[in-house]
Amino acid sequence: MLKNLLISRDFLLFGMLGLLAILLFILDIFFGSLLIPFKTILQVLTGTGDVNPEIRSIVLDFRLPKAITAVMAGMALSISGLQMQTIFRNPLAGPFVLGISAGASLGVAILVLGFSSVFTLGLFTISGSWALVIVAWLGSALVLFLILAVSIRIKDILTILILGMLFGSASGALVNILQYFSNESMLKSFVIWTMGSLGSVTKSQLNVLIPSVVIGLFLSFFSIKSLDVMLLGEQYAKSMGLRVRNARFLVFTSTSILAGSITAFCGPIGFIGIAVPHIGRLLFKTARHKILIPSSLLLGSIVMLLSDIVSQMPGYESTLPINSVTALVGIPVIIWIILKNRKFSSV
Amino acid sequence: MSNQQVNITVRNLSVGYKKGKSFVAIKEGINVNAHSGELIALIGSNGIGKSTLLRTLTGFQKSLGGEILFNDRKLDSFSIKELARVLSFVSTEAIRVQNLRVWELLAMGRYPYTNLMGTLTDDDNRIIKRAIQQVGLAGYEDRMIDQISDGERQRAMIARTLVQDTPLIILDEPTAFLDIRNKYEIIHLLHNFVKTENKTVLFSTHDLNISTSEVDKIWLMLDNKVVEGAPEDLILAGNFDQMFHSDKVYFNGESGDFMLRKNVIGTYTLKGAESKIFNWTCRALQRIGLVYTETDPLVVINIPSEEKNMVWEIEIDLTEKLVCSSLYELTAELGKRLSNH
Repeated sequence: MLKNLLISRDFLLFGMLGLLAILLFILDIFFGSLLIPFKTILQVLTGTGDVNPEIRSIVLDFRLPKAITAVMAGMALSISGLQMQTIFRNPLAGPFVLGISAGASLGVAILVLGFSSVFTLGLFTISGSWALVIVAWLGSALVLFLILAVSIRIKDILTILILGMLFGSASGALVNILQYFSNESMLKSFVIWTMGSLGSVTKSQLNVLIPSVVIGLFLSFFSIKSLDVMLLGEQYAKSMGLRVRNARFLVFTSTSILAGSITAFCGPIGFIGIAVPHIGRLLFKTARHKILIPSSLLLGSIVMLLSDIVSQMPGYESTLPINSVTALVGIPVIIWIILKNRKFSSV
Repeated sequence: MSNQQVNITVRNLSVGYKKGKSFVAIKEGINVNAHSGELIALIGSNGIGKSTLLRTLTGFQKSLGGEILFNDRKLDSFSIKELARVLSFVSTEAIRVQNLRVWELLAMGRYPYTNLMGTLTDDDNRIIKRAIQQVGLAGYEDRMIDQISDGERQRAMIARTLVQDTPLIILDEPTAFLDIRNKYEIIHLLHNFVKTENKTVLFSTHDLNISTSEVDKIWLMLDNKVVEGAPEDLILAGNFDQMFHSDKVYFNGESGDFMLRKNVIGTYTLKGAESKIFNWTCRALQRIGLVYTETDPLVVINIPSEEKNMVWEIEIDLTEKLVCSSLYELTAELGKRLSNH
């Protein structure tokens, strides 16, 4: 009886979150420096009516890609955060904290600053975009597998988190050194990247970003069952028949692809990865990944779309950096987590 | 699987750990056996290698020599997935996952049997429900695992092994951190489903008194060997005396438990009929370091003949006489006087 009630509560919540995500998606397209009537936007999106081609271009070439990017970033970062929290059994783990985003930045820095500017200019072509994500994946994977290698020897989770931060800082330092030795034009394109926002992702880059995120999410669906038992720790997982090493490899690959792809195109975006899975746990009161993964997908999209709308500062000409907005959204959640489990218990 | 007859044979096993590139053996030449329907306690002092032996038996760690046979099949020939259907495990680590319901924890035990997405069938649900009832957690299905007591959480962990439906269950110190009532209840629970489900349950423990009254067999780890047998066999053979090399602690073969060696401050004899008062007066006197004797005692005590009139009449060294109305008073007075003797 009670179980049926719980299941229907979950369905209701999912339905509401889904509607909210769709609503915010449309609102995100609606808000911008130029006020476009709501009706016109709907006409452009549904392909009906006679709309001014300039307006059509603003909606389809700028605002729509940006909203799609926000959804992609929200989903990818939240799922990487969730996976890291489970694997490291730590509520404060996430792609940003563990230095995975910094690893991706290092990959991008090596590509942009280390190679010729011909390559740099090619960043906005399809092949250039693929090169960009692949180096970002490799950078994230490098940091993740360094952490994994250490975590085999050191079991203490706090130590691993600190090491993640150190690897992240080391990547940052390497990026600084690369910047120091690079010429002006390379530096300029890199700095633009670091300030990257959701809006800088072009339509052609989306052709790379979307499949990358889809692959990463697809892999995470195969981890649903193993992530559950990994909550109990390596020994229990093994005693229930999980090949822990393979399972970890799958999760790390998925996380590298997800966090790496987003970092490659949007720059490092913090706090979404840590905060969103906790909102999911709070709403659904469960630890099962069958529920947590879809809820993180929806909530990640919602939070990211909301952050993007806030960063537009509706009614003003200028926009806020998306990083700052997500930090302001995420940090209160993190403070709440710390206050809630002072004893530093597991996720 | 679970109702099948199993025999576990440990032959000439060496266990230890890897240090750098070499192996350090903690214990060598272990020969023990376990059968279906047996509750077995693994006992030994701290650091003697109980956990190492358990980890080796569960396959978490490689043995350094010898073999472990599960129904004549070598344990290291089992894949991880096969092993998960043969043995389940409860570690000493307390699980503190947030937002995890008792029911969800138990459902994890079906991991070796469910499909890629972990979907539970009606059969799976039935097995989980039964396990919840067996450990007495009915009504706790939707409680969060971090919001129940230590004893309840331990029951849930044990129920998870029942759900995993393995003929062999291994538990590393399942009674540590529990209060006395829960210690007894957990051991009793294990005892029950060993008999009703015909399982083999092996657990390590320091609670000698509780285990000797419930287990079928003890594997006792001593410095130079591992011995096995019914608790009473080991007591009669004097094996527990070899457990500690201590001049402070000794094994009392009468009570079946370890005791602190006291400085003897004198001898005593009691006058009166055998009764509850008689026994507890003995215990009180032993506690302060008096030893029973029949010849030439230092202290002679007349114990109260009935519980209505609690008066102990004491004669020390045939000279001093005193009367006490409680054992507290008696031990305090005797302690004071005899330390001057």
